[in-house]
Amino acid sequence: MSYIHVSDLSKTYIVRKKKSGSLLARERTEVKALRNMSFEAERGELIGYIGPNGAGKSTTIKILSGILTPDGGEVSVGGVCPWKDRKRHVGRIGVVFGQRTQLWWDVPVRDSYDLLREIYHVSRADYDAQLRRLTEVLDLEPLMNTPLRMLSLGQRMRAELAGSLLHRPELLFLDEPTIGLDAVSKLMIRDFLKRENRENGTTVMLTTHDMEDISALCSRVMVIGKGQKLYDGGLNELLSAYDTVHIMTVRYADPLVQPVLPEGCEAEADGETLKITYRPDRVPTPVLLTALQEAGTIRDLTAQPQNIDRLVADMYKEMGM
Amino acid sequence: MNTIRFCMHSIRMLMKSRLQYPLSFTVQTLAQLVMEAGEMLAVLLVIDRFGSLKEWSGGELLIFFGVMSITFYLTEIFGRGITGGIDSMIRQGGMDILLIRPRSVITQMVCRDVDPRRIGCIAVGLTALITGTAQIGLVWTAGRILLLLEAIFFGMMLVLGLFLIEATCSIFSVRSLEMVNTLTYGGRSACQYPIDVFPKPIRLLFSVIAPFSLTLHVPVSFIVGKPLFGWPQWTAFVCPLSGAVILAVMTVVFNIGIRHYRSTGS
Amino acid sequence: MRALCAVFRMRFREELRYRGAVIGGVICQTFFGLILIAVYRALYDTRPQTLPLQDVVTYVWLQQAFFRMMLSFDGELTEKIRSGGIAYDLCRPLNTYAYYYTRGMAQKVMGSLLRSVPMLVIAVLLPDGWGLRAPVTVPALLCALVSLGCGLLCVCALDMISNGFTLLTLDGRGIQSLLNLLMMTFSGNILPLTLFPDSWQGVIRVLPYAQLLDAPIRIYTGSQPLSGVPAIWTLQLAWTAVLTLCGLLLWNANRKRLVLQGG
Repeated sequence: MSYIHVSDLSKTYIVRKKKSGSLLARERTEVKALRNMSFEAERGELIGYIGPNGAGKSTTIKILSGILTPDGGEVSVGGVCPWKDRKRHVGRIGVVFGQRTQLWWDVPVRDSYDLLREIYHVSRADYDAQLRRLTEVLDLEPLMNTPLRMLSLGQRMRAELAGSLLHRPELLFLDEPTIGLDAVSKLMIRDFLKRENRENGTTVMLTTHDMEDISALCSRVMVIGKGQKLYDGGLNELLSAYDTVHIMTVRYADPLVQPVLPEGCEAEADGETLKITYRPDRVPTPVLLTALQEAGTIRDLTAQPQNIDRLVADMYKEMGM
Repeated sequence: MNTIRFCMHSIRMLMKSRLQYPLSFTVQTLAQLVMEAGEMLAVLLVIDRFGSLKEWSGGELLIFFGVMSITFYLTEIFGRGITGGIDSMIRQGGMDILLIRPRSVITQMVCRDVDPRRIGCIAVGLTALITGTAQIGLVWTAGRILLLLEAIFFGMMLVLGLFLIEATCSIFSVRSLEMVNTLTYGGRSACQYPIDVFPKPIRLLFSVIAPFSLTLHVPVSFIVGKPLFGWPQWTAFVCPLSGAVILAVMTVVFNIGIRHYRSTGS
Repeated sequence: MRALCAVFRMRFREELRYRGAVIGGVICQTFFGLILIAVYRALYDTRPQTLPLQDVVTYVWLQQAFFRMMLSFDGELTEKIRSGGIAYDLCRPLNTYAYYYTRGMAQKVMGSLLRSVPMLVIAVLLPDGWGLRAPVTVPALLCALVSLGCGLLCVCALDMISNGFTLLTLDGRGIQSLLNLLMMTFSGNILPLTLFPDSWQGVIRVLPYAQLLDAPIRIYTGSQPLSGVPAIWTLQLAWTAVLTLCGLLLWNANRKRLVLQGG
């Protein structure tokens, strides 16, 4: 059996909402966060898990990390079921939430680590070695004696990462680890994760909305929408399979120029620039370029690939959801 | 053993951060002392006006009051992590963090916070106990001390068990915590008086659901030499065990509740 | 006047939003009432007092029903004081004292309105010797209601003084708990004032704490004859005037200080 084995996983939430216009009555609706989700993963993989808000990403991660109990389905991580044997399972994994902290707020970072050592039953020698390594790689020395609440978001995320790796987990879950970070911190964290995966063989599964995280890190991408798996495979294949619509922006030296576009292109004026949406399989890009050049002197021209949210929206459309 | 070491470690760490602001700590401890002194004043005023309550003398009432506040506030020092803002902790996703660690959730909740300010209340409880002892001329023999310690220990388990009800309700985001407070704080206020002053329904409530009468009144009435309901001596040592039973039951209920925990956030 | 109504309406809606807490509060308060009455019944069995037991029972229920009026907790104000945001409020042309006075009063009135009605219904339905008794006469009820209003004015003014101190010291938790203790004790919540030692009576009856609930309840039960009611009203209003004046002085001093510091 694979290292991570997930089959037919489903989870339904019951949401009670106040009915509008009534003081007391409440509406009860069922939200299917996961419907028959299945996948396999091997040790040492680095998997990106993407999808829009509310698609079921966090629910999956939370079930896999032993926080939630699903309504149905099977999960085994290295032979252990997360919710049936929680303590054994979570002793071998690390979890990082981008939006909440697992270190102690008013306490110096070093003291938090000391307590984590106690919680995870790490031997003193093991702990010292691992902490020395992490301190160096993540440049933590200057933060060690500062209470967590006084750290910047980037510093805090570095401290969190180290905290979740003190017990040398074989599997690391990251839920939006780069959310709100500046460019430098993002790069540092990506490099660190790549290194951790390569050098220690740590299996990593991360959710994100940042496509750069995925393209920098992940060889494998899973896309989830409305609780179902929509795609599972390489990033490049994903892009070429669904990247159906292209956008080109053009600005002419003379703003009054109106190019005659080939059939199937849509143009939208935005100030002096013109935004053209087209499908390369129907209108070849060179044909469009020729048409644009014939109209007048071009001052500026850019071609953009799709952003991930557009792409997922397209996939929804294609899958009839 | 390992669990105890973990608890001691986190308590030491939290104490350190709490004592970073000694002035604020002192002021708040004094404030707690003043509040509890108010409760004791109420008992003193009652004694002043009425002299005694049924067959219980003023000194005996003070002893009941003292043991109750020592038990209750000792639990609050360590149980603060369970009662203190548990609902907001859960709303902010703090429970997720406890669940991803290889330790029992209850242990971690106990280790989440301590409230050393409560020693102010305990000081008042001790004062009441000492005053009461002096008033009735009670001699503390080894057996009595043992019984007192037993009563306090199992009383703490009972209070902890009641705190867990609150925590379990919070998992299901039941907002009316005041209802649970009826049992805990209501129990404290009611059972600082001997159980036999109450009518049957209240007596039943505090003997079966929240058995303060068994952990507190039976042993203490034996200590002051007026066994409740004329029960034999051995009952004084056995009854407090009910506190452990309540804690065990609530631990099971809580752990079932955790299975139905639904995390917040996306 | 319009602004005043708006503050009250807003508070009412807020209370409705937390009706879970209201229901919980009613149950909790009723339970405490029952416990206290059980204790008093046992105490009266031991040694009856001149004050009839039935009056004590009525006293307990009215105290529990209007418990909310004693609490002074304005989360928004405390938060503003801690974050320093209050400085902006104080420098605005708006009368901050009047605004927070009204807010505090709205909180007390609306909070206890929702809680007291169901509680009083429960208390009336309880069997004799446990339940709330009707007022002695209709005029006594009316006089008690007026007196409750005056007491409310007085207590809100008192709260504003402690808020003023919190403003001055920034962390008012110490003084606040001392004031809360005085309030709980001398308002008659932990023990009816009549049952305090006889030698204390002359002092505690006159304190502002007795004005909120103790005075109206005594009129309600008839232990205070109607002839003495004007004197009580005068005392209540005199306290209100004195306390409001002190509060205003304190808040103005605070404002001057903040303005001098430049916010």
